[in-house]
Amino acid sequence: MTGVDLTLRGVCKQFGDHCVLRDIDMEFDEGRLICILGPSGCGKTTLLNLMAGLIRAERGELVGFSGRQVSYIFQEPRLIKWKTVRENIEFVLQEAVSREQRREIVARYLDLVGLAPFQDHYPSQLSGGMRQRVSIARAFAHPSDLLLMDEPFNSLDLDLKLSLIRSFTDLWLRDGRTTIFVTHDIQEAALLGDEIYIMTGSPAGVSRHLKVEVSRSGRSLYQDEVVALSKELFSLLTG
Amino acid sequence: MTASSIRNSLLALASVAVLALLWKLAALAVGSEIILPSPEAVVRDLAGIMLSSGFWAAVGATLIRGLASFFISCLLGLAAGLLTGFSSTAYWLAQPLLTALRSTPVMSVILLALIWFRADLVPVFVGFLMAFPIVCGNVSTGIRNVDRQLLEMARIYRVPARRILFEVQLPSMAPFLIAGLSTAMGITWRVIVAAEVLSQPGAGLGTQMQLARDYLDTTRLFALTVVILAIGFLFESLLRVAENRLQDWR
Repeated sequence: MTGVDLTLRGVCKQFGDHCVLRDIDMEFDEGRLICILGPSGCGKTTLLNLMAGLIRAERGELVGFSGRQVSYIFQEPRLIKWKTVRENIEFVLQEAVSREQRREIVARYLDLVGLAPFQDHYPSQLSGGMRQRVSIARAFAHPSDLLLMDEPFNSLDLDLKLSLIRSFTDLWLRDGRTTIFVTHDIQEAALLGDEIYIMTGSPAGVSRHLKVEVSRSGRSLYQDEVVALSKELFSLLTG
Repeated sequence: MTASSIRNSLLALASVAVLALLWKLAALAVGSEIILPSPEAVVRDLAGIMLSSGFWAAVGATLIRGLASFFISCLLGLAAGLLTGFSSTAYWLAQPLLTALRSTPVMSVILLALIWFRADLVPVFVGFLMAFPIVCGNVSTGIRNVDRQLLEMARIYRVPARRILFEVQLPSMAPFLIAGLSTAMGITWRVIVAAEVLSQPGAGLGTQMQLARDYLDTTRLFALTVVILAIGFLFESLLRVAENRLQDWR
């Protein structure tokens, strides 16, 4: 976790004739949790894939991304069904960590997401929420310096979502790794972001950049500042 | 044994018993051993031929041909399936050949093989040509159906290609391979015996069947058919054991 900033300058992406992203400018400080908020289908996942190096931009440049170790939390848990919970996490650790350390790291992160007793279970033996916890533990256990998240709390009911957000926040506060998080959910953005970029339009561009001043510890949906922020985000997204 | 597996075995036994009963009733109705021998006559004949050394030589020869053909189909089918699964160029190059092999009548292949090969090699060649496209096609489909999202996950986490192959791609292809092997095994025994009937190698169950037909020995034909069914059943069961082992490995 060196102190190098990440920058996107004039990034454009198109698929065939269809332009998805236009002139995206963003700057990310190290150790921050940055949220990119925009409507479904606006190109947020494409933006993350550019940052992960899975696809290339037609124009513009991404500075500071290449060569980074990346962890990724997807919309789906993406666990290997013939591997146990422990083996799924070890799968992404083998090259970076010795065998003894692997055991210890896996045990630590599973404990932090409350799944220590389930380390020898297969994904099919877990609920949807538990599977997503495993994928969160996998992302943090991987020795990366950038964490990308693509609507990982999507398609979960509110209770589960809030409990996962709590687990995630606990882990993130201990770890503090640079995180870029895309979502269409205003509440998630308000609960998690240090900064929020709002993307609108088609092709999508950045329409606003907010710095969130609400203290991270103990942020809740009912806190006045969070309610006010949610309202502001709603009007920015719809206006 | 669990209660449900005992129940399933009893149901299978009951089905065999009903079949034997219907067979017996039909034989009584027909009243001619040459057209439809009774089950007990077939069992007696079976017991008789099992005492002769010629019978066991025939069983051995057919087994060796069947297994040789099956293993060659497995090895080449697996190799070609992996190649066509990973490379779309190889896939499209192989498609016309595989489709042609799948649609060619067994009899055409047997008759051509009779011209090209020695009598005892004809069944092995024909069995291979019938089973190979099945194994190859299934392995290829298995590789092409690997969950793209898992591959993307592994690449983002920079898991080396060798481990992605052994820990993601091959295990996810395994059920397709097993299904292919099971179908190929069933086809192999049928095709091997059919080819033996026509090619008449020195020893073989097909050779014995042709001999029985020449003498209008319908009872012997039934007895030999029961033997071939038993061989098919035995190897299907062995394959199932292998399948369970593979599940554990996955």
